[in-house]
Amino acid sequence: MLTIDTMQVDHIVARFPGTRVEENGPWPTLVATPEEYRALALFLRDDDRTRFDFLACMTGVDRGGEELGVVLLLESTTLGHRVFVETSTRERERPVLPTVSDLWETANLNEREVYDYFGIRFAGHPDTRRLFLRNDWKGYPLRKDYDASEAVNPVPLESEESPDVTFSCREDGGEEPRALFDDGEYVVNIGPQHPATHGVLRFRVALEGEIVKKVDVHCGYIHRGIEKMCESLSYRQMLPLADRLDYLAAHQHRHALCLCIEEALQVEVTERVKYIRTIMDELNRLSSHLLFWSTLCMDLGALTAFFYGFRDREKVLDIMEETTGGRLIQHYNVIGGVSADIHLNLTRRIKEFIKYLPPMLKEYDQVFTGNVIARQRMEGIGVLSREDAISFGVTGPSGRASGWACDVRKRKPYGVYDKVEFDEIVYTEGDSYRRYLVRVKEIVESLRILEQLVDNIPAGDFAVKTKPVIKLPEGRYFKSVEGSRGEFGVYIESRGEKTPYRLKFRSTSFPLVSVVPRLARGSKIADLIAIGGTLDYIVPDVDR
Amino acid sequence: MNSVNRYFVNFFKGLHSLLVGMRVTLRVFFRKKTTECYPENRKKLVMFDRFRGELVLLHDSQNHHKCIACGICEVNCPNGTIRLTSEMMTDETGKKKKVLVEYRYDHGSCLFCQLCARTCPQQALDFIPTFEHAVFTREKLVHKLNRDGSTLAPKPVAESITV
Amino acid sequence: MFDFSIITQWIDQLLRGLMPDAAATVVECVLVGLALLLGYAVIALALIYVERKVCAWFQCRLGPNRVGPFGILQSVADMLKMLTKEIIEIKHVDRFLFGLAPYIVIIASVAAFSCLPFARGLQVLDFNVGIFFLVAVSSIGIVGILLAGWASNNKYSLIGAMRSGAQMISYELSIGLSILTMVVLSGTLQVTELVEGQADGWFLFKGHLPALIAFVIYLVAGTAETNRGPFDLPEADSELTAGYHTEYSGMHFGFFYLAEYLNMFIVAGVATTLFLGGWMPLHVPGWEGFNEVMDYIPSLFWFLGKVGVMIFVIMWFKWTFPRLRIDQLLRLEWKYLLPINLLNLLLMVIVVVYKLHF
Repeated sequence: MLTIDTMQVDHIVARFPGTRVEENGPWPTLVATPEEYRALALFLRDDDRTRFDFLACMTGVDRGGEELGVVLLLESTTLGHRVFVETSTRERERPVLPTVSDLWETANLNEREVYDYFGIRFAGHPDTRRLFLRNDWKGYPLRKDYDASEAVNPVPLESEESPDVTFSCREDGGEEPRALFDDGEYVVNIGPQHPATHGVLRFRVALEGEIVKKVDVHCGYIHRGIEKMCESLSYRQMLPLADRLDYLAAHQHRHALCLCIEEALQVEVTERVKYIRTIMDELNRLSSHLLFWSTLCMDLGALTAFFYGFRDREKVLDIMEETTGGRLIQHYNVIGGVSADIHLNLTRRIKEFIKYLPPMLKEYDQVFTGNVIARQRMEGIGVLSREDAISFGVTGPSGRASGWACDVRKRKPYGVYDKVEFDEIVYTEGDSYRRYLVRVKEIVESLRILEQLVDNIPAGDFAVKTKPVIKLPEGRYFKSVEGSRGEFGVYIESRGEKTPYRLKFRSTSFPLVSVVPRLARGSKIADLIAIGGTLDYIVPDVDR
Repeated sequence: MNSVNRYFVNFFKGLHSLLVGMRVTLRVFFRKKTTECYPENRKKLVMFDRFRGELVLLHDSQNHHKCIACGICEVNCPNGTIRLTSEMMTDETGKKKKVLVEYRYDHGSCLFCQLCARTCPQQALDFIPTFEHAVFTREKLVHKLNRDGSTLAPKPVAESITV
Repeated sequence: MFDFSIITQWIDQLLRGLMPDAAATVVECVLVGLALLLGYAVIALALIYVERKVCAWFQCRLGPNRVGPFGILQSVADMLKMLTKEIIEIKHVDRFLFGLAPYIVIIASVAAFSCLPFARGLQVLDFNVGIFFLVAVSSIGIVGILLAGWASNNKYSLIGAMRSGAQMISYELSIGLSILTMVVLSGTLQVTELVEGQADGWFLFKGHLPALIAFVIYLVAGTAETNRGPFDLPEADSELTAGYHTEYSGMHFGFFYLAEYLNMFIVAGVATTLFLGGWMPLHVPGWEGFNEVMDYIPSLFWFLGKVGVMIFVIMWFKWTFPRLRIDQLLRLEWKYLLPINLLNLLLMVIVVVYKLHF
């Protein structure tokens, strides 16, 4: 990964005198004053030498003592370099920072998350509401001085009202009321208990007949505070939590966490481990995409096709289970390797599966892809432009359907992805049908990768020894992998202790959910379901 | 003319795609079914040996286990699933020694992360592939893992593993 | 061939011998009503079982196999469960309309059911505008669905009901027109005469091309009319959870459920009557021996067999295709089915006028 070079850094510092540069991570960190922060962000986004058009990750941090701040990880999709931008405020009572939600659309929900966790308001942000916790929650849980006792926040016995009014934040931290829905609007809840939201996600939808006028996303129904939990767990103990974010990409997410910790510890894993991890990643992707296919068919009403997908996914799960011991949640990666060597049957079973699946994929195409009803329900529906995809941070198959070649396996190869041949499937139309096609074709590509790897696993240890107590050296670390539905990143700030100071998971599904209101506006209810189905978000990964 | 043409082409293409789909489902209709009849096939049903069903404290034929009540598993468990009770005993040579009284394991809150089994210095723990765990109350999910009257195996193998 | 009117007339004379004419008529009405309801329930239960089994087989599953041999008593068990379940009282519903809606739906379908000619001489209602009556009466069900959606005080239900209204009114046109096409061919509206007219060959073969087109259109529109997949938008479970019957429970829900299956039977039954010769056996002109053998199969079996095939086709649709969107649904009707149907009617008239049919 390219870093932004020193000349550019000097150039920036010259323009923004309050900004200083820290070198304590894989990329330089630009520490800005709150006054310069917004101007710096705008400059970084628009200047020809920097062109940071992709906000990869936004993290709130309690710096301890007085300061509360945010860290942005910016990436340029054209130039390929990355940089951290940081700012903080000394005000703890009513902290206010300028918003960047108008610069990068993904910052909209991310800033709400920061507000929810740390109580930082963003001046100019149109919607200052809590995102995951209840509106009547007291305190901000990720602050270091947070009182977690049940006396402060007793278990609520009443259900929460959903107000139709939100507040936009003024410069001075004051609130400006803004109506979400008018009295006359026909507002329907899609979720939290709804067959097509794939979990406990809730959309409040204003309808005009069949037409969707507005969508308001409500998250947090499966919020478990995993990031908070990680702050009190050792690095080994937090591994099983990574599996539980996106349960269809458990292996890949744990892979990212292990890679991040290994990089920080400077542990080099063996070639064998890399091969095994890559194989398991691809198996996991297969199972995820097969499930995507099945559930999309079900959402669009083709129940029979749903069972075909599940029938074949079962075979992938069996392959994984034999080696890892888990079907959905595998617990296979460990720091320094994998938990057990591959099972003797693994290669044989994978080869059988590579032979088995293509005829089934043909049937899939006949029964669903080519079907005139399915085609008309997806083609031209929920079109996401490339600019919006980048601005919203929609990575993975959904981003690639919009023409953004964002595959981490190609951009920043990890494992043995640099040694295998596979095509990155990219379309330009960005509609639901292309999002669907990308995934169907990625199934074939995954089979191709497996075919190249399965016979060539080198001999070696399946794990390297690590110390009994793992302490990460001080600094900040970020590592991302290509999860089943996009770039999954792990951001760790360590102060050299047994536990991380701040750990943030760059969720893959979070941007996918944030883009739903944009895509669904003006479409029909049935299209909202199709859009949700093809975006393929997983709610535990949104809520974390 | 062109649009009339398109009207009919679309119509018949659509019809064809529907018929192709119907052919597939009809073919599947006559194929062998994949359903497994669960309670009937219980005898033939073999789980993968690495499958993690529940945690056990290994006992040998003389009702010996290897747990020295060091508590590493209890400390390592991210979820507080394990509770050890031990007491200090003085053996014949006069040495004071910690002895396991009760090994409590809450199956209901186990993450199956295997940290306990992997960090156990005595390799006294293991996961077994049983799977019929449904019970009616949560209390029944709390198991006592050391069998009644079991004692520590005479010669423990001291070898620490860290993975 | 066995004629059921022998039995019915015998019962009629027996009753008239025992009591005055007026009383006999009342008793007969009650008996017929009971027989009808019994038949209705049995057929609905059988269909629910068949549907579950067929759908399972399409989906590489086994389907119900726990209650009774091959799960054959599954739907009986389901019915018992449904009967014993509490009917939940819902706040803020229009209680009268809410309770009325399922009965309207079920009455409409029972009334339509009574027009079907099951076998030679086995038909409850038979008068000179029989098929017209059937179409009219079966569309009363839509009122029940609209009421259910409206009275539930539930937004999902209301959307489902409105969809249902748009859908049924549209597809009623196609059903009416395709039936009209066959009426042009047969020259009668009376159901018995429609069937008798097919003694020397089913209308599907007699009317060749226009009859085939009308048949396909009737099947598609009929499936839409019964709110079954791929036209199950009013209850689209992945969009509206259960559409107009979201709030119903217990036997009220059971009525909607039964009516859905019986409507499928009625659609298949009308298709059989109009196109496949009703209870008439298959005759091939010239094959005397074959025709003799066919005549030995009772007419009831012929009817049920043909209906069974039709029902299988309808289920085959449902379990293969994804659901249509509302605009696709209306486009299909107004842009494809209706114009084709009108042209087809014209074609049929030409065929009949110039005696081009067999």
